[in-house]
Amino acid sequence: MKYSVLFIASILIVAVFIAGCTQQPATQQPSTTQGVIKVGVIASLTGPASNVGTNMWQSAQVAADKINSEGGVILKDGSKAQIRLIVADDESTQQGGQKAATKLITDDKVDILVGGYSSAVTSSYQQTIAEHRIPYIVTGASSPIITRRTDIDTSYVFHHCPTTDAYGQYTTLFIDQVVRPAVNKKLSAPADRPFRLALLYQDTAFGKGIQTAVNNTITKNNLNIQLVSQESFKMGDSDFRTQLTKIKAASPDAVYLGAFPNEGAPIITQARRDTNLNTIFLNAENNDNAQFYKDLGQYGEGAIIESRFSPYIAPVGAVADAQNEFKQSYFARFGTYPDMMGASTYDGVFIATQVIENAGTTDKAAVRQALIDLEMPQIIEAMKDQTCSFSSDFRESTFDLWMEQLAYNATIGETRPVIVWPDNLKTADFVLPSWYVAGSSS
Amino acid sequence: MDNLGVFLQIIFWGLYAGCIYILLATGLNLIFGVMKIVNFAHGEFLMIGAYITATIFFISGINPYLIILLSMLALIGIGAVVERFCFRPILGTGKLNEIFLSIGLIYIFQNGAALIWTDEWQSVKSPYDGISLPFGSFSIPLDYILIMFFTAAIICGLYLFLKKTTIGMQMRATSQNRKGAMLVGIDVERIDVISFGLGCALAAAAGTLWIVSGQIFNPYMGSIPAIKAFAIIILGGLGSIPGAIIGGLLMGLAENGAAFLLGGIWKDAISFVILIIVLVVRPTGLFGEKGD
Repeated sequence: MKYSVLFIASILIVAVFIAGCTQQPATQQPSTTQGVIKVGVIASLTGPASNVGTNMWQSAQVAADKINSEGGVILKDGSKAQIRLIVADDESTQQGGQKAATKLITDDKVDILVGGYSSAVTSSYQQTIAEHRIPYIVTGASSPIITRRTDIDTSYVFHHCPTTDAYGQYTTLFIDQVVRPAVNKKLSAPADRPFRLALLYQDTAFGKGIQTAVNNTITKNNLNIQLVSQESFKMGDSDFRTQLTKIKAASPDAVYLGAFPNEGAPIITQARRDTNLNTIFLNAENNDNAQFYKDLGQYGEGAIIESRFSPYIAPVGAVADAQNEFKQSYFARFGTYPDMMGASTYDGVFIATQVIENAGTTDKAAVRQALIDLEMPQIIEAMKDQTCSFSSDFRESTFDLWMEQLAYNATIGETRPVIVWPDNLKTADFVLPSWYVAGSSS
Repeated sequence: MDNLGVFLQIIFWGLYAGCIYILLATGLNLIFGVMKIVNFAHGEFLMIGAYITATIFFISGINPYLIILLSMLALIGIGAVVERFCFRPILGTGKLNEIFLSIGLIYIFQNGAALIWTDEWQSVKSPYDGISLPFGSFSIPLDYILIMFFTAAIICGLYLFLKKTTIGMQMRATSQNRKGAMLVGIDVERIDVISFGLGCALAAAAGTLWIVSGQIFNPYMGSIPAIKAFAIIILGGLGSIPGAIIGGLLMGLAENGAAFLLGGIWKDAISFVILIIVLVVRPTGLFGEKGD
């Protein structure tokens, strides 16, 4: 009995030790012992969103390396400070998010926070942010509730990531202006034929945000789009065949997915392979991720991704060089390509550094004011007026977005994107694939 | 697609999901039936089985349906080690010990898998990807027919093993009355090892069939299926293999029926609604006997 107890105790200790292996905050030491600015990064390093979360953390490191190599931050007294990143894993869960935020704020005493993926997870620890009044630049969670909720003080939260309102509206307008005419042309249907759109969305603030944005955009703009099916699924689900069968029965012209990459890839694969739903799938921007392309294989052909940063393409213009430099630095260090959430986190670390420099201090209220007053040239993501700033009402950045269509490359066995909208950025025209089947022509 | 076609397709997806549940729950019930232990880490054996198959497939390119046997053999070994060094020392010391031990094992296996294979999701492409057979108004991918065939073959093999072999009969005897089995000379500790190993092998088969169907996987994939497997064995009756089979099929059909009729968010909840109803009407489960 004595040995049994000892054995179980040993097992538990080992379990806690190993479990802790993924939860201990990693740090990136600055190369100087002078002043240090501590930037906390909240990312999903484990759990279903770990692919995106790891990308965010690694992108933050690339940003910190660049900032520190260029001299760091200049404070009010003229002294220079290096930035030191401290990461905390939200474990892709709400409880994990609360632990991560609390640890960074109370134990590590960070000066500013960057990161946050999944609106459900990020919103779970906003009370902690409000209580400690620490500036937080959210770079991954896209529900507008992040800065618009009224039950909690969000005045220290700044949203450097397009909201589901923004890209839901953008994608719906793309459907109306580009996909609908193409389908009508294929069917030789009159221009007033209603476009049959189906939604399949994650049952979270993120997925519901897209659903709401699509519905509102159709109503507000009186678009000739009919929502023929609106199906949901639980976050992290991997079997979507029943919902897809139901959607196929509704005979849609296209399906808009409110899904994470680990959900979007199996949805499209199961749709095309298992249910013969040969239609256009429109994806939210978080799917512009190297693993997403890999998992999709040939089934990604013809799919659409709303984007603002892609591992495989950059828009013609001012940010192309900056994006390519970031991708090369990232690839050189990690052997893979950064994704969109990584890009906004890279931006986020630069913004955090700039506002502390502008404030000249790490005083939280002063840094918050510097965020409100921010007018900074765009970094690697294309911003409205080529400037990083936050709106005066809900502290949201405004991005220049674009739409990509995926084309299959048999040599690499994956699809690669081309930009098809808007006209000033596009590198190719939108096309309906030869296998595409439109909805019923009614 | 007509209504009948849609209905048949939903039934088909339910049967497919049921196959995975049957294998997982039968393994769990085999272990519970013989050893009467509560192992919440059973889903992690599904995960390890999936990774072993995927790793061999990625390295060798061998047909994953053939690797299923290797994966099951590997899990028999892993299961035997876990039984011998983890569960046997605490056998009979109380359910709380078993629960905490299995929770600890969940962390160990998940984090161990993340260290070995990383915790990024992965997918396997079946060699039969894209091949479908016509079935009425719709076509069925060959992979799903193979999954159902392999499930039936494995369950039939288990049935014959339990009915026709000496070890199988000893396992049934131990399941029915452990002390009685000891009195007639059965080495129950040996039977425990074999039962645990076989249960883990069935989980490995479930994991392999999960990934060949094109579903993504990562080290955390086993947690939810394990909870559902517990619901299935309670639904079907603790220790009852036929109960696990019927319960697994019911669970698969109910989940997909609920997703179709009520929406995807009801998919997980409906299983537990059915479980509660069955327990209220028949507390021993569908096939359970008093005293289980």
